[in-house]
Amino acid sequence: MLIEFTLWFAIFRGVHQLSIGGYAREYYLSYVLWAAFVARITSSWMYEFKMIEEVDSGSINGLLVRPMTFYEYYLSQLLGYKLITSVLSLIFPITVAYLWHLPTDFSRLPLALLLVTYFLILVHTISYCVTGVAFFINKVHSLTVAKNLGLWLLSGELFPLDLLPPFWRHILLNLPFSSAVYVPVGFVTGRVGISDVLQGFYSVTLGIVFFALLGNLLWTKGMRDYTGTGA
Amino acid sequence: MKKYVELYWAFFRASFIADMEFRANFLTRILTDIFWYVAQVGSFEVFYQFTPKIGDWGRAETRVFLGILFVVDAIYMVMFNENLDQLPEKVRRGQLDLLLAKPVNSQFMLSLQKANTAILGNFILGASWLVWALLQRPDFSWWRTLWLLVLIPCGVCIFYCVRFLFATTSVMFTKAENIQYLWYQIYRLGMRPDSIYVPWMRVLILSIVPVGIIASVPARFLLEAPNYPMLLWAIFLAGFALFLSSRFWLYALGKYSSASS
Repeated sequence: MLIEFTLWFAIFRGVHQLSIGGYAREYYLSYVLWAAFVARITSSWMYEFKMIEEVDSGSINGLLVRPMTFYEYYLSQLLGYKLITSVLSLIFPITVAYLWHLPTDFSRLPLALLLVTYFLILVHTISYCVTGVAFFINKVHSLTVAKNLGLWLLSGELFPLDLLPPFWRHILLNLPFSSAVYVPVGFVTGRVGISDVLQGFYSVTLGIVFFALLGNLLWTKGMRDYTGTGA
Repeated sequence: MKKYVELYWAFFRASFIADMEFRANFLTRILTDIFWYVAQVGSFEVFYQFTPKIGDWGRAETRVFLGILFVVDAIYMVMFNENLDQLPEKVRRGQLDLLLAKPVNSQFMLSLQKANTAILGNFILGASWLVWALLQRPDFSWWRTLWLLVLIPCGVCIFYCVRFLFATTSVMFTKAENIQYLWYQIYRLGMRPDSIYVPWMRVLILSIVPVGIIASVPARFLLEAPNYPMLLWAIFLAGFALFLSSRFWLYALGKYSSASS
């Protein structure tokens, strides 16, 4: 975060203006602060690696006989873990925003966090798809890395997506991935309005449906081909 | 020396054969790094829509800087990354003991045993980007690229040594994931041109935590008049970092309690 702050200071030194894209430097610092926090919530490395490992090693057998699906089991684990870590780490951006007087509308925080939580279901559904691929291909860990880098690129963690040229902005804002960082952070820092948040819920829902169908397809075929062995 | 060159060549061939067994993984690795390149280039291209300069450099200079960064990063990734990333796991599973029993330098063995040959495609992409960025500068003297013969090895050496120091902590502490995360944050300091930093941070990344040598210094030699004291400093730092990493490795091994015994 310190590096991103430094970068924005350098950008504003070079631009010799008080604002970029209609927003002053403090708005960008606030964006960077909240983006770093929200992006850590909406990324899933550990649980996706665990899910892949279950298929790779065959330890999935123990989960298949449980009275809940693999998807539900790991969704509950992911949400539980993110809930605890997010609540604790929320103290940091709130404190910094308060002490440095960075533009933050705290009354918008609950709705923004609700969108972030909803986005986690999409993230988990994508992880479910990646895990489904592990039935057919060995060593799919790099898919996780590629997926997370792709999300990093499309979510708005690097910079606010409204700075993009209109063509790219239109495409990225209509994809569900902007709800990972840009929409919730933009909502809290005053860049986007309630209509964008509602659009975010809508596009995330479409994303969940799409990846759930894909995941089911992969898992149905994968389970048909899979042979569980061992005692 | 000849023995080590032959040994590395054998490692490289074995790694290439192993990587080709998992072709989907091979292709995804290339795709992954393309995302990373697009993110780096895309960010700066977006910023330069609004400002003519970031730090000392304009768009054209920053493209050259990114080209150097991609090349150095790709060389590091091919040679060292997978080995150092896996060190904590090797310590936990007791595989380090097997490496220590081999009749070769343990640091060499540990750092270079597995080459990530999938990244060779990224090296070509990074080098192509660098050549393209230099072609955009009509006044560029191509003789200046000779500086890279010295400065890129220095950059790779420092990159490796700093990463190795962080990875080695896992030998002492076994569970050192957070220290590895700290490494990535320090590396990110070097992923931005040094001129964006305030003076004390600039001194920091060119001396104590010398990640500024990785790409900023080579880029300066391509874009500006050569700074000979800086050249000597980069060579000295690379040698010193290598010496320090070797000493620290021996120190860490003294604290190592085998996981398999």
